[in-house]
Amino acid sequence: MNLLPDTYHIQQTFSGYCRTGEKVTLPGVAPDRLKHYRRLVFNMIQDTMENAFPIAFKHIPAGKWNKMVKDFFAHHACQSYQVWKLPLEFYTYAVENNWEDTYGIPFLNDLLAFEWAEMEVYNMEDMPAPAHALTGNWLDTPLVLNPEYQLLSFKYPVHLVAKPKALVQQKGIYFVLLFRDPETGNVEFMDLSPWLAFLTEQLVMGITVREILEYAPQLNITDTTTLEQDTLAFLKHMQQLHFVLGFQS
Amino acid sequence: MVGLGFRREFAEEMISGEHIRPDFIEFAPENWMNIGGYWKKMLHRVVEKYPVLCHGLSLSIGSPEALDKEFLQYVKTFLQEYNVQIYSEHLSYSKCDNAHMYDLLPIPFRMDAVKHIAGRIQEVQDFLQRPLVMEIVSYYTPVAAEMSEVDFINEVVKQSGCQLLLDVNNIYVNAFNHQYDAKAFIQQLPLDKVAYIHMAGHEQVAPDLIIDTHGEPIIDPVYDLFEWTLQHLQPVPVLLERDFNIPEMEALQGELTRLKTICHKQWKLKDELVA
Repeated sequence: MNLLPDTYHIQQTFSGYCRTGEKVTLPGVAPDRLKHYRRLVFNMIQDTMENAFPIAFKHIPAGKWNKMVKDFFAHHACQSYQVWKLPLEFYTYAVENNWEDTYGIPFLNDLLAFEWAEMEVYNMEDMPAPAHALTGNWLDTPLVLNPEYQLLSFKYPVHLVAKPKALVQQKGIYFVLLFRDPETGNVEFMDLSPWLAFLTEQLVMGITVREILEYAPQLNITDTTTLEQDTLAFLKHMQQLHFVLGFQS
Repeated sequence: MVGLGFRREFAEEMISGEHIRPDFIEFAPENWMNIGGYWKKMLHRVVEKYPVLCHGLSLSIGSPEALDKEFLQYVKTFLQEYNVQIYSEHLSYSKCDNAHMYDLLPIPFRMDAVKHIAGRIQEVQDFLQRPLVMEIVSYYTPVAAEMSEVDFINEVVKQSGCQLLLDVNNIYVNAFNHQYDAKAFIQQLPLDKVAYIHMAGHEQVAPDLIIDTHGEPIIDPVYDLFEWTLQHLQPVPVLLERDFNIPEMEALQGELTRLKTICHKQWKLKDELVA
């Protein structure tokens, strides 16, 4: 490196100011001009987070939200060279720093995870679907699923309820499936029961519906009279939505 | 050739070509790398229709720390995949202490910075196996300068062997903000190294300060500076940048047409004089 320590330090000081907004003294710099750099840099970060997390931005009090974004940008070294991936770092930072407790928002991790997943699935690289046939035996032929999906579990139904007061009263176990429609590119999401989440996990591993159904009693599902019928109805619906692509060929 | 920065906001219109039809498009690899789905399809459609130039955002040639080789490899692959004819970047830094800033910070105009940057430009050029075209950026305050801006740029070009992206609006903005003569500044540049021109609009936020927003139409004095500049250059691609406050396509096409008319006038005249 040809940079002298003094020049290196000046660049660090300048960029440090952009990250924190804390007053610095730099030779030859007009303070009234310097502030525009902080404004422009921080506006970009704010806009990125607001666009990535519109529900969180809308429902978290502005003071808390601004403090979060400021804290994140000041103390976290942003690693992604693609700005659209920065919200993942924001979410990770929130989890690592236990913001749910710090800010008294018990559903925060779930909400950020859900909103990020929507963006990630929407933008994710194309994944080729395995070879498959359009017809087959629903019970005994392994199904081929759309590989562009995420299956998430939450403590709060952030995918169903937006208002914070209602959310905190509905603590439980929730599952949500997000997938990208291969035809439109849009992200669809769906609330799943624990059984359907289990079913989806097993189907991904190539296990047949019949084998999965046989496992139901071990999950304490005792009323199995309509389980097969309901499960097949769900899968046929998911085929219409382009999540079930077909049958292994 | 007069092109337009490709943006998602008007992707459909550019692909249809009904109300806007640039000669080429430009986009940032960082905004399009490693994505799939709808926007990858749109990217393929637009690339089939127009020649592509790329203008990077995250190289951060002025960073104190080492170049990100993984990032560079992605860029190299991307440029090859989309048959990109020119790859340009900014003569600034956007990463420091291993943290991206996502904006263009001014480099101290100093000789040690020149040597540092020249070495990094050569490293990038060697890696990508193509010339790097460096944009003279707009800046709002000098930082610990020990030499003039124009001397700094000349030294970087001389020591690195890079080419220049002359953003005429940036020169206008800098000349206004730092009170110098834009034409005199341009005349001191190594104009034979200019490979690409950018044009854009800006916003005056104080009596003595313009911010380079790319959110307004180009103003007449910048067109005038552009026309004057062309008299001193060989023909190169010209790009209109519009990133915010997107108008109707007819308005953007109007700006493209005006730029093209000036190019034809000045460069045709030059050809005739040479002939």
